[in-house]
Amino acid sequence: MPRRVFLFALLVAGLAWITWLATRPPQTLEGRNLKPDSMSTGFKSARLYFASSSGESLMIETREQLESQNFHDRVAALVAELEQGPEARGLRTLPRGTTVLHVYIDDRGLLTLDLSRPFRDGFRGGSAAEYLAIASLTRTLAANLPEVKRVMLVCGGQPIPTLGGHLPIDRPMDVTDLP
Amino acid sequence: MKPLRLVTALAAVAIGFALARGQDERAVAPLVTPPAPPAPLASNVSDWRTLVGGAGPETVPVLDREGLPWVAVADFARLLDATKFWRGDLRKLELRARNHRVLLTVEDPFVVVDDHTVRLDAPVRSENGELIVPVALADSLPRDSTLARLYYDASRHVVLRVPPVGLVTGPRIAVEGGGTRLVFPVDRADEVVIASRDRAHFRIRFSGFYAGELPAGFPDGSLARAIRPIATAGGSAFEIEVAPEASGFRLVSDVTGHRVTLTFERGPAAGLEPFAPEGPAGPRNLRVIVLDPGHGGADTGVTVEGAVEKDLTLQLARILKGEIERRMRTRVVLTREDDRELSEDERAERANRAHADLVISLHFDGLPGGRAHGATAYCPPATFGSTQRESEGQGMIALLPWRDVALRHAVAARELSEDLLSALELRAQGPARLREILPYPLLGVNAPGLLLECATLTSDVDRRRILEPRGLSDLAATLADGISAYQRNL
Repeated sequence: MPRRVFLFALLVAGLAWITWLATRPPQTLEGRNLKPDSMSTGFKSARLYFASSSGESLMIETREQLESQNFHDRVAALVAELEQGPEARGLRTLPRGTTVLHVYIDDRGLLTLDLSRPFRDGFRGGSAAEYLAIASLTRTLAANLPEVKRVMLVCGGQPIPTLGGHLPIDRPMDVTDLP
Repeated sequence: MKPLRLVTALAAVAIGFALARGQDERAVAPLVTPPAPPAPLASNVSDWRTLVGGAGPETVPVLDREGLPWVAVADFARLLDATKFWRGDLRKLELRARNHRVLLTVEDPFVVVDDHTVRLDAPVRSENGELIVPVALADSLPRDSTLARLYYDASRHVVLRVPPVGLVTGPRIAVEGGGTRLVFPVDRADEVVIASRDRAHFRIRFSGFYAGELPAGFPDGSLARAIRPIATAGGSAFEIEVAPEASGFRLVSDVTGHRVTLTFERGPAAGLEPFAPEGPAGPRNLRVIVLDPGHGGADTGVTVEGAVEKDLTLQLARILKGEIERRMRTRVVLTREDDRELSEDERAERANRAHADLVISLHFDGLPGGRAHGATAYCPPATFGSTQRESEGQGMIALLPWRDVALRHAVAARELSEDLLSALELRAQGPARLREILPYPLLGVNAPGLLLECATLTSDVDRRRILEPRGLSDLAATLADGISAYQRNL
């Protein structure tokens, strides 16, 4: 007798579970896509300035990047993209091996960018190459990081008065300094 | 045992039902886990490029569809510096820029901008997998400092992001009485200067960027005969050719009306400013010219297939010295006479000690991997450089650091640059480019000067020409022509 009661109770519970499964509100795809978690990461078009093939000007190449909330990571990702060079036409502007060592931004938008030694030691060329390296860095950072107003370049923790002896970089620069 | 079989059967049905639902959930799982790049926009990634001339604002092309201007939403997002969130199932794209939201729906003309809805002239379209939207959306965006302002430049068929310094558009010209009025619509009317008052090269400079069109012609009786944009460091500048009968000019900035009015008058009038602080007419007195051969010692400069920049600059300086002294009664001083490395302080000291009337730092350019060729001059910018920013708020007296003393001679330096570059172009040794950037060798130099990249050694054509037996002599003769033109001051 107790066994029959137990089986009956089990049957009722099973039926109740099936009924609940069949009658609960359906989870639509739209509902799932609107979950906050699925919308928490966005993509942003990074605007990268490379040298045109003629070397007379800069040109923009756009790449999609995962948006990062970490400022250092955002700067490092942009510099890494520049160091990789353009994907099709155009010329690389930064010496190979250039990476970001440290990044500091003050409350007036002055970004101090400490680059690895290959930035200085690997530089080759005249004023055109020098102008394009500095201008592509400055414009890329200013174009993608609205909080950056001016850029001060240092290398290996040391200030560098000039990269190749043609243009001074001993002071903070902004895009208007590099026509 | 019958109830037991019944329970077992029901349990099997329930488990199977549940498993079936689990299969469904696994099937949809990829749709809800990590968001993929917005599919309709992917075709636009990495292949959009544009040439950027000078420091102009960023632009994107405008598409013409059924007489309406459209713009790709991916370009639109890029100008706004917005992050894109694509909802493929709803065919909605959300753009987030700082605290602003723009929600677009495919085939829907209604766009939600923050907390209000905008109806466009046409619905958002998907064209070859890319969303496009009428340009008019740019006018519906909120105007505040957190969101980039977009401007539709119909003449160039582009949408541009207005830079923080604002815009300047082409002037309206009116001839009234004896005067000629040029009205420039500008965002920042208080940031305008007259860079040169020379009638032949009257220059006005704005902090904003130039967009729009210049007038094709001038009305009869106009005292302004021609206008052209000129390269400048930041902002924009125009050179105006003013008729000789103009007696003076007046510049009025209307900050609230967002316009600058430049008036040239034929006769005497109140508040007129005179022309020509460009120095006395006629030949300039060039007593001392300093030539600075670039690099030296361990600093070889550009080296390409046997052409060593430090050696070429020294040889060129020696030849040019002889050429100048043969043509003019001028003393020529070289900052270095042999292969040695000089600091920039030493170069500046030698130029200043010689009381130079002009300084030319001689260089040869190089751009590995590039097709660059020709010559480039770097001369000090006239205004709106970092020096001006640093002196803001200091009242009537603006302090100029000695490092930047060459900025005092910016106008003369530009004229010298243009004369030298013109001579190079005339002798087919171009193309010639001019950049207004204070060059490193001119730091602390108290004289008009420039850094001149005489040719590009990484260019086969340029290098062959320079290394020919008479290559440097021809180049020196050309530069001497340019210096003579500057000295004649015609």
